[in-house]
Amino acid sequence: MFNTKIKSDIIKGVIDVTSPLVNEAKFNISSKGISIRAVDPAHVAMVDLELKSTAFEEYNADDMELGIDLDKLNGIMKLANTGDLVTMEYDEESNRLIVKIGNLVRRMGLLDTAGMPDSKVPHLDLPAKAMVKASELSKGVRASEAVSDHLALSVDKDSFELFAEGDTDTVNLKLPKTLLLELHAPGKFKSLFSIDYFSNMIKPVKSDDPISINIGNDNPIRVEFDFAEKHGHVTYLLAPRIESE
Amino acid sequence: MGDLVQNATKSQKKLLAVEKKQSPSVCALCRGTKFLCGKNRCPVIIRYHSKTKVKSLLNTLRLEGASPPSVFVGRIGYPKVAIGPMIPPVMGDTSEIDTPERWLERTLDDIVDFRSQLVRGKFTVNVTDVESPHRIVEFTRELALSKNAVFTDAMFTKKPYGRIAFYDEVQPHGPSAPLKTLDITNPKYEQCIEKAYYDTDLKARAAILDIYKNGVLISKIQRAFSVGAFGVKKNRRFVPTRWSITAVDSTLSEELMKKTKEYPFINEVRAYYLNQFDNRWIVLMVPSEWQYELIEAWYPNTTWNPYGTGISIFNSYEFYDGRTTYAEIGGCYYAARLAVNELLNKERRQAAVVILREAHPGYIMPIGVWNVRESIRCALSQPYRKFSTVQESLVYVSKIMDIPLQRWIRNSAVLKNQLYQRKLEDFIVR
Repeated sequence: MFNTKIKSDIIKGVIDVTSPLVNEAKFNISSKGISIRAVDPAHVAMVDLELKSTAFEEYNADDMELGIDLDKLNGIMKLANTGDLVTMEYDEESNRLIVKIGNLVRRMGLLDTAGMPDSKVPHLDLPAKAMVKASELSKGVRASEAVSDHLALSVDKDSFELFAEGDTDTVNLKLPKTLLLELHAPGKFKSLFSIDYFSNMIKPVKSDDPISINIGNDNPIRVEFDFAEKHGHVTYLLAPRIESE
Repeated sequence: MGDLVQNATKSQKKLLAVEKKQSPSVCALCRGTKFLCGKNRCPVIIRYHSKTKVKSLLNTLRLEGASPPSVFVGRIGYPKVAIGPMIPPVMGDTSEIDTPERWLERTLDDIVDFRSQLVRGKFTVNVTDVESPHRIVEFTRELALSKNAVFTDAMFTKKPYGRIAFYDEVQPHGPSAPLKTLDITNPKYEQCIEKAYYDTDLKARAAILDIYKNGVLISKIQRAFSVGAFGVKKNRRFVPTRWSITAVDSTLSEELMKKTKEYPFINEVRAYYLNQFDNRWIVLMVPSEWQYELIEAWYPNTTWNPYGTGISIFNSYEFYDGRTTYAEIGGCYYAARLAVNELLNKERRQAAVVILREAHPGYIMPIGVWNVRESIRCALSQPYRKFSTVQESLVYVSKIMDIPLQRWIRNSAVLKNQLYQRKLEDFIVR
C-alpha cells in the first residue's frame, strides 16, 4: 500500500535533487518514509535522499519499490501550483502511480525496478568538515563556471577556500572561520571537482540554508543539506579529479 | 605521463614552442560561412577558385546530360532560395559524380575534375513551395527521389557562368545558370524513399530512420531530404543542401546514440588509424559510458588555416547527456558521430570516443563533410590496436601524430575526463 498526500513543492524538490544525476530512479518506500539512492551513468556522483513520513500531510505505506521516470513525474508536477496538495497512490492492479492534483487525475506507468541496481555507499574517511551558507558557495561556483570546468575546494583550521583556474583567469573565494557555521579540520585538505556536477549539487539548496561539506585529500566530497523543513535530508557524493603529472 | 613528455621528439618540441605566438585562426571556425574575418567574400574559397583550371565555359544555352541524379538547394536569400538540378554534359551512368560514398579511392584532383563538370541550374522558389505545380520544381524533386541517373534537358536564360564552387560542407560543383525550362525522362524512384514521400503523416525523423535502416546511402537520403520529400505534409519545405547534410547526419546519429547508451561497454581501449587525403585520423575508444569528441588540428597552409604560422586546434564534445548547442566545428562533428555510432551499434557496445584529426598541408581544399564521414567509416572498418589503459593508447597516439600529446590532452575535454576524473567505485575499500 502507498497512499499519501503532500505539498507539490516537496516532490518538486525531490526531482530537483535527483534528476541532474539520473532520468529514472527507484523510490524505496517504507512505513517511515521514502528513500532514493542513485548513481549517475558515469559513476562519478551519487545521491542518497531521505524523506520522512512527517514531511507528508498524510502517509500510509508498506514496504515496496516504485520505479519512476523522473522526467515524466516532473512534467506532472509542473501542472501543480506552489502550495498545491498532491495525492499520490499506488494502484497495484494496473501497476501505476495515480497522481491527483485538484480535480486532475494522472495515472503514470511505472518502470521495472529489476534493472535498477542497489548502489553501495563507499566508506570514506573525510577528516575535514565545513558548514557554509548556500548563497556564499553558489557565488563562488558561478564565478568559477566562467573560467574553468573544474575547481579546487580546500579546508584548513582557519578557513574554507574555493579556487578555479582557467588559461588566463582565476577565481578565489576564501571564507574565514567567522563566516562559517562550523569548521573542523585537523590539517589542510584539498580535492579537485568538476564544476558541472558540483554546481548541480548545491543548486537545489535555498540561499540562506547551510550546506555541510566533508572533504579529504584527493578523495570524494560529501555534500549534505536538509530540505522540506528538515523532514528531508540529502547526501551527495562526488568523486574527485586527480591531475597527476 | 611524465615519461611521455620526455619522449617527445625534437620536432614535437619545436611545435610546442611555436604555439605561444600562434594567432588562433578564425578560418577553422568560419569555413567560409560566417565571414568572421570581416571581408564580404571568403578569401580562402576565392583562392581555390583562382587556382582551379579554367574550364571552357559551356558556350550554349541548352544542356543535355544524364544527371547522376543530383540537385542543389542554395541557402543565400533563405527563405527564397535557388533550387535546381545539377547536370554534367555527358550521357550514361554518371551516378559516381554524386555518390561521395564511393570517392575515398579517388584523389582530390579526380574529385574536383568530375565535380566541376556539374552545371547547376537555378530557379528561385520559396522554401515552402515544395508542392508547387511548376515543372522545374516537380522535376527537381523527381530527380532527387530517383534511383538512377536520369536524362535531363535544360534551357538556361544565360550561359552557365563560373568555374568551380567550393563549400565547407557541401561537395564542390561547376558553373551555374538560371533555368528557363527543364525536362527529364521518367525516373525510377528509390522504393523506400518513394514510400516515405507519399506518407504525409510520417514525421521526417521516422522517415529518414526507416530509409537508412533499409540500407539506402546517406547521400541519397540527404538529397531527398533537401527537396522536402519527408515529414508531415504541412511542414515540408526545401532545405538548403548544406543544412540537409548535417540534419541527416545529426538525426540519424541521435537515434543510433539512444541505443549505444544502453549497450555494455567495449572490453578494451582501442585505437583505429587512417591516413586519407593527408589527414591523419585516430579514433580512440575507451570502455566507458558514452562520450564523444572530435578534435581537429589544422597545420599552416591547410584548408582552414591558410594564413596562420602555428597549428590551430579546435574541438567539440559531448558527455553522456548530449549537447544542446550546434557544434563549434560544424557539420563534420555530426558526420563523424554517425560513423562512430554505426560501429558501436553493429557491435552492440558502448564506449567513450575521441577522434583526433591532424590535417597536413597536402589537404588543400574544402571538399565537403562526406570526407569526414567516409574516412571515419573506413578507419573503423580496419583492424584496431588494443590497449589495457588510456595512457598506453596515448603513447601510440604520440607515435603516429606529430602534435605532442600534452597539446592534444590540453585541447580535449573527453581525454581530460578519462585521465583525471575518478569514479566513486575507485574509493570502495575492498
